[in-house]
Amino acid sequence: MKFLVTIIIAFLSLATKSQELFSVTEPASNRAARSIGIRVDNSIMNEVRTSKINYHLIPEVMAGVSKTFMVSAGVFFSNRSGACRHEGGSVYAKYRFLSNDVVQKHFRMASFARISYNSSDVHQEEINMYGHNTGVEFGTVATQLLRKVALSSSVSVLKASDNGNNNKFVYGLDNAKAINFTFSIGKLMLPKEYSGYRQTNLNLMVEFLSQVNTGSGRYYMDIAPSAQMIFNSQARLDVGYRKQLSSTLIRTAPNGFFVRLEYNFFNAL
Amino acid sequence: MKNILLLIAISISIATQAQVTRVYFQASGLTCSMCSNAIYKALKTLDFVDKIDADVRNYTFELTFKPNSSVDFDKIKRKVEDAGFSVSSFHASVYFDNIQLKENQPVKIGTNTLLFVNQKSEALNGEKNIRLLDKGFVPSKEYKSNNFSKSQTGEGTYHVTL
Repeated sequence: MKFLVTIIIAFLSLATKSQELFSVTEPASNRAARSIGIRVDNSIMNEVRTSKINYHLIPEVMAGVSKTFMVSAGVFFSNRSGACRHEGGSVYAKYRFLSNDVVQKHFRMASFARISYNSSDVHQEEINMYGHNTGVEFGTVATQLLRKVALSSSVSVLKASDNGNNNKFVYGLDNAKAINFTFSIGKLMLPKEYSGYRQTNLNLMVEFLSQVNTGSGRYYMDIAPSAQMIFNSQARLDVGYRKQLSSTLIRTAPNGFFVRLEYNFFNAL
Repeated sequence: MKNILLLIAISISIATQAQVTRVYFQASGLTCSMCSNAIYKALKTLDFVDKIDADVRNYTFELTFKPNSSVDFDKIKRKVEDAGFSVSSFHASVYFDNIQLKENQPVKIGTNTLLFVNQKSEALNGEKNIRLLDKGFVPSKEYKSNNFSKSQTGEGTYHVTL
């Protein structure tokens, strides 16, 4: 705990400006209207008790429908069955319903929903709509951008169903619902001062990701520090490590690296 | 009734040779260069805009316009909002060709009608800086405190101050 507090305090006291394009979670801010983004999400997680690597690849297309509404669709691939195989996909939508902007600051809130389909076997008690389970997730996110720091927090409800290919959710109907809590903090480290769009930006962030199963009451709590680079104010590379801090849930591969690439096309629609 | 009065006022407003030469605004709600770039790219799609000078450090944008084009302040504001942000201050440089400003008398510039707020009668000559005061052109707190009658602000009609 002391370690966490130290990280947060160190983070809050560092450098100059903030960043809220978080690596793992989505902020309350939306994409620009009529923009399209391409994202490739890779996670390279270490399987517990074996030397196997669980690799998940999720290519995604994101679109800003209006200033307050965005949608995205992704396809799930993983090496669960040996070779890297297509396992399903998900559709995500986010609606920003509150926006309070001041120069270099804002407070925003948004609602989001995700519907996922997955055909792999259900191999863990943790419910995850981003590459593991079939089901739905909906929630609310609030983001505060301050001159020096960006903070974001979300709460969402998840409901897992049986996966496709006759792969049942084996932990019982009572344990098929969970609540996710996230807290993210991000900061722009470089450049010290902006002079143009071509400067490469370096952002550092720390995210806390937690789930509580509403049936069993079991939970996990993870920390995910990451570094993000933004090139030409248009492309983005996130590299991070997700680490389980504490858990009473059965999880297959909670620790590992993730690499996320993103490219934005403005005025594409 | 207010609408009718406004229509009459606009119809007798001073038709001028005045011209918008430059717009300068500050965007709010952002600190990242990718966000600023989203605004810049959106502004680039406006057909009447000639040049955009973006100051990434101060979140300000300076626009100059194509000759004889009709400058639409609402369209500029909408581009900023579509990019996901807000306008916190909006100034325009207008070239006035010896306009006699009278209290409560609107001034027409191309397709725009300007309602000068708290303005004494005076002659306007040469390049003057005006600030827009309508919803979306000032922080929402300032707009609320101005308390303009809604019926007075249609598309193309703006409350301004020198």
